[in-house]
Amino acid sequence: MIKLIDVHKYYGDTHVLKGINLDVEKGDFISITGSSGSGKSTLLNLIGGMDRPDRGSILVAGEDISSYKDEQLTLYRRERIGFIFQFFNLLPNITVFENVQMPLLLNSLEEEDRVSEYIKRVGLAGKEASYPYQLSGGEQQRVAVARALIHDPEIILADEPIGSLDSRTGIIIMDLIKQLAEETHKAVILVTHEHYLSNYAKREIKIKDGVLLQ
Amino acid sequence: MISLKLIRLFILKNIRNEKFLTVLSIVGVALGIGLFIGVKVASDRALASFESDIRGLSQNTDYEVLDISGIDFNEHIYRDILDIEGNSYPILRVNGYLSAIQESISINGIDTVKAARLVQPAGRKAYDIEDFYKNLSSILITKGLSDKYSIKKGDIIECLVYDKKYSLKIAGILDSKTLPADAVIMDIGNFQEYFNRTGYLSRIDLTADEKTSREIRRILPPNLSIERKEELLKNRESVVTSFRYNLQFISLIAILVGIFLLYNTVFISVVKRRTEIGVLRGLGAGQKTVVTLFLVQGLIVGFVGSMLGIAVGQIAAYFSVLAVERTISTMYSTISISEYLITKGDALSALALGLLVSLIASAIPSYEASKIRPNESLKEGTFESKYKSCRKPFVFAGLSLILSGVVVSCLDYRYAPFDFPFLAYMGILFIILGFTLISPFYLSVILRIARKPAGRIFKATGRITFGDMKGNIYRFSVALMSVAISSALIIALLTLIFSFRHSLASWINRNIAADVYIKPASCTSNFCFYPLSDEVISLVKSFPEVAGVDKFRTLHLELFGRKVVAGFGDIAVQREFTRAGRNGERNRGLEYGKQVSISNYLSTKYGLKKGDVIALQTPEGKEKFTINDTFSSYSTTSGFIYMDRKWLREYWGLDDATQLAVYLKEGVDTGRFIQGLKQALSGKYALEIMNNNNLRKKVITIFNKTFSITYAIELISILVSLIGVLNTLLALVIERKREISIIRYLGGSWDQIKQMLVLSAGIVGIAGIVLGTVMGFLISVIFIQVINKISFGWEIHFKIPFLYLSIVVLVLFLTTLSAGLLPAKVARKIDPMRFISFE
Repeated sequence: MIKLIDVHKYYGDTHVLKGINLDVEKGDFISITGSSGSGKSTLLNLIGGMDRPDRGSILVAGEDISSYKDEQLTLYRRERIGFIFQFFNLLPNITVFENVQMPLLLNSLEEEDRVSEYIKRVGLAGKEASYPYQLSGGEQQRVAVARALIHDPEIILADEPIGSLDSRTGIIIMDLIKQLAEETHKAVILVTHEHYLSNYAKREIKIKDGVLLQ
Repeated sequence: MISLKLIRLFILKNIRNEKFLTVLSIVGVALGIGLFIGVKVASDRALASFESDIRGLSQNTDYEVLDISGIDFNEHIYRDILDIEGNSYPILRVNGYLSAIQESISINGIDTVKAARLVQPAGRKAYDIEDFYKNLSSILITKGLSDKYSIKKGDIIECLVYDKKYSLKIAGILDSKTLPADAVIMDIGNFQEYFNRTGYLSRIDLTADEKTSREIRRILPPNLSIERKEELLKNRESVVTSFRYNLQFISLIAILVGIFLLYNTVFISVVKRRTEIGVLRGLGAGQKTVVTLFLVQGLIVGFVGSMLGIAVGQIAAYFSVLAVERTISTMYSTISISEYLITKGDALSALALGLLVSLIASAIPSYEASKIRPNESLKEGTFESKYKSCRKPFVFAGLSLILSGVVVSCLDYRYAPFDFPFLAYMGILFIILGFTLISPFYLSVILRIARKPAGRIFKATGRITFGDMKGNIYRFSVALMSVAISSALIIALLTLIFSFRHSLASWINRNIAADVYIKPASCTSNFCFYPLSDEVISLVKSFPEVAGVDKFRTLHLELFGRKVVAGFGDIAVQREFTRAGRNGERNRGLEYGKQVSISNYLSTKYGLKKGDVIALQTPEGKEKFTINDTFSSYSTTSGFIYMDRKWLREYWGLDDATQLAVYLKEGVDTGRFIQGLKQALSGKYALEIMNNNNLRKKVITIFNKTFSITYAIELISILVSLIGVLNTLLALVIERKREISIIRYLGGSWDQIKQMLVLSAGIVGIAGIVLGTVMGFLISVIFIQVINKISFGWEIHFKIPFLYLSIVVLVLFLTTLSAGLLPAKVARKIDPMRFISFE
């Protein structure tokens, strides 16, 4: 489903990604581990269509997204990608319900029942009208998980999803991501520097100095 | 004391980082200060011109002998005064009009031998003394006048004086700093002969003590008085007081909007740098240090804004001087203001005001900053949530202020305890402050009502926008108030102008009833005080087409210690010849008994009403007149008394006229009559002859020119409100970089982000305009019913200019909407990866 062919990325003089080749299939759960500055997040941003490679191709369902224009990348993210971040990145001034609903709204859909269902699935029923600042860290990340899945994307990109949670809550969140991804047959690419999270993945890929060590 | 290094690191760096936002605040402050100082300079220069006029050529004299009615008097009295006080200087003066350059000059006939020190030449060859005395038409002009109009020695200028055209030869250029800038000097003997004023003087300036002045007073005939120059000056100043305060007050409102802008900028700095402030506090910085840092930021913006404001003020001063000069010349008497440069004193005042304004604006955010605890987190909405609990008290205080504003304005309407509408001004400020306090509640209600429909229409952008606005209600209230105050000002001024124009039009219909109006071309004011030649009057009367001539005479009279204009008309002629279809039905019954009509201004100012008796000083002594009626006069701002001219003959011993209203026989072609009259007068007299329609048009033109300054203020208001919205939205973009990045990650397009910002601008625009409309109408009622009544006494019927207002409101709305576009451009420069992966 996703195929990275000899992907290179430079930031100024720094060669961040050095000829990355990677295949991700539907339903895959891949963990990419590596130390800080190894190029994990850059790789995720390229797959997520936030950035373009300087060299190489990224094929998603046969289409090379590295040649996409900005509008096409926006549409790609909107329809096919679900992001989960370390610091949740919820919109602070709208409710839980509206945060979860946001990807649908950006796709000009409302589907309020679906939103309620996902909120229930992540265990936040009754918190629909709450604002992010009224929730705990774990609850905020549950909202983020629901938001990442609500619009039925093909790929979930999770960047250190439990990095700011305590270990107990982290495990709960990881279980939730895995369970929901399996139920909905999503491809999950998890970026982390915690090696133990690789246990959740079907495949573990290490990255060091911009090179994948499979 | 905080170190300069800390200021550099914490404040200057921030200013550099937020250049655009800072520039916007600077421009906002500069516009407010510039407008204020420009208007101040214009009013000050008008007063200086009055002072220079009253002080005259002999700056050290402290008394003045003059006719109580403001006309020239017999020079015989001079010899008697000279016997008592040798330091007395006879003056004969008149305003001349240089039609080629459309400027007025003041021609002064003085005893040049006695006042030789006044006529010092500018350079050795600047003065031809023989020519000056021998040639009747010789004049000396100041160097300022020579430079201003590029007139040099030997030039001959054409000048309209009284009702004729004269040639004046420049005999020399004077180098005097004490002479008024527009002064022209003639030898008094030449003046009397050349202008046919032999035997007359306009005034006698004296250097005398109290005892001597009493002695002189005893020998003066009843038509003359001796006055202290200070008193005359005070009297004259009062004429421009209202005009000055009104303009100054409006520019003060512009400063108020500037305060909102600066407040917003400093507040944004505080909100944005909450964590940094927390760290700083953790490192040991005290609350005072934090307060000082942000006050310094405000002061830096205020300082730069004020300096720029001085430059803006210089431009504003130039145009304000023109407007003030035109208005005073039309409404009162001709003045010439040649000085419009901002002085050091003005610049210092502007700077002081700017710094004060910036201190006020940055005080609250600085205080908020000092309250940040060392362990402050990046929790959103810290300040907003704190204010949320204040919302109810704010609403209560706001409503109380609005009510107080209305009450004090009503008190001013009812009792007018001050010379100028001080309470009404306070009332307007209370109302603005009141609306400011209720604005967060008002905006939250609007958001609550519109949230659902907007969510349905604008989907994601609607939800995020409303969420953002709800979460930043106080911030958006500041932007909303910028728009509201500007709209209120525009609506109030437009309503005032429209109502005035409408009332003036109906006044014109009632009062301009004759077919032809004649006055000396040298007279540029609404009222002329120099009489027309008898020959002109006889000639006009001799035309067979003429049915009747209403000889109108104006004098200056004193009422309750203040100079007012008195007009004497021929009521019988008006009554007999006012043609059907023209409403000339005024002054009913004025011809019977000793009666006068007074303008509403006098009625308001002195509580006079129909049936009251007033005593007027005449050359025959004090005479009592009963008030027959009160009327609206748009011609002067100093009060107007109207009476039948038979009293002019009886008590003032005059039968001349300063203006003529000519009634033609039925069927006469007015155009041809005027042509014939001009032919008969040509080469001999310089008169302004107008038919009924042209005079009506001229009155409206004068009105439009008088109000031109208010249009400029409106334009600046729109500009400032645009800056207000721009400032807030830009601040939001700067502060919301992370949220914008999240939206981009979620697949939100730049167009959707632009839509969010334009939607925010639109909501602020609509809500601000609606609030501004309510506030504007309230203010316009106070403008019309209280401020106008106390300041000018003009009768203005409230009339709402729906069409104009709709257009202006639409322009304002589109302007605020466009304010969302620039921040959208700034937003586009945000790199989402920087703000997301940064963590």
